[in-house]
Amino acid sequence: MRQWMQEYGEQFREHRSEGPKYLDDYRPFPNNKLFASEPVLGEDSRETIWRKVVQEGEAIKSVSANFGVDMRRVAAVVRLKEVEKAWEREGKKLATPYARAVMSMLPKQRLSEGQEFEPINEIHVHSYTQQQLFLPTSESRHFTREDAAKAFGDNILPADKRVPHPELINLEKDVLSGKSVEEAKEAFEKAAMESEVAAARKEQKRLLHEEKHTTKVNASRFEFRFKDINVDDVGKDGRSRQGTGWRYGVPFYDRRRGEIKIPTKVE
Amino acid sequence: MVVKIRLARFGRVNEPFYNIVVAHARTARNSRPLEVIGTYDPIPKKDTYDPSGKLHKDIKLDTLRAKYWIGVGAQPTDVVWRLLSMVHAPRNLSVKNDQPGS
Repeated sequence: MRQWMQEYGEQFREHRSEGPKYLDDYRPFPNNKLFASEPVLGEDSRETIWRKVVQEGEAIKSVSANFGVDMRRVAAVVRLKEVEKAWEREGKKLATPYARAVMSMLPKQRLSEGQEFEPINEIHVHSYTQQQLFLPTSESRHFTREDAAKAFGDNILPADKRVPHPELINLEKDVLSGKSVEEAKEAFEKAAMESEVAAARKEQKRLLHEEKHTTKVNASRFEFRFKDINVDDVGKDGRSRQGTGWRYGVPFYDRRRGEIKIPTKVE
Repeated sequence: MVVKIRLARFGRVNEPFYNIVVAHARTARNSRPLEVIGTYDPIPKKDTYDPSGKLHKDIKLDTLRAKYWIGVGAQPTDVVWRLLSMVHAPRNLSVKNDQPGS
């Protein structure tokens, strides 16, 4: 090992050049061939995404589709950029040298329109759809994806509805039906914006509903928020998960092995 | 037997969480109650997007059931009394308070 360190390994002792320096191409751990270091979004790419969404007011879905970046990643970039900008406004000091050092060691990819950064339209595999299923049906029947979804379970949505970007399917259909690419794109952007507005409206409605059923009382140091519930939610046997409060006679698996204990969403 | 409206401590060490329950007075704290009418989370929390950093406590309560149980003579403990009196005009609830021992 000492010999290897003197001859070949010397170049890995310190990180000098820009970009990653792995023993193998994109494989930082030579014994683990399955792990490839994926490229990350560079500083300017993230700035571009933030500018498109916040300053130019494009829908997150259309930014995601244009740059081929996952919708959730676009949203996360915007959220973190907002935090960064807020810190800059407050005059907080950023750990820029650290960020620069880390970024210089990672593979990066520049964003460009029409080029894919990562697959964006992948369907999450529902566990109900993993079972092997034999469904007798007549040969003449037109068996669609809707029917397939129904066969797997009553509440399973068809694949066309579960894709993150159903608007992209319509875009392709429009192009195939003879619309010009510009027209189809315009329709896509409109649909993307509409879906975003609808989601925002739904969230607004939920918040209003919650607000309506909450009584806020200012007492001493804290505000007490009383939320209305219904005792009948526990069901006839008193064991329903919809019920309020800790359940009786049911194990609570929050600390079981394999249970995710870190927060998985931003609230 | 006296029916009480009281808290039942659940949660973890240093992480209390209470069910507001209606139960017979002589039953164990965490035994199955007559009814769970709400929850009380005593740990103050901040709103994520509120820069003022004001703290609040979350309580869930079925006020109708609370009123019913008090109407039929259930006795809230001091802590529960304090919580209930926040959401109700005290005169609605103070029937029992005015006539101690009844």
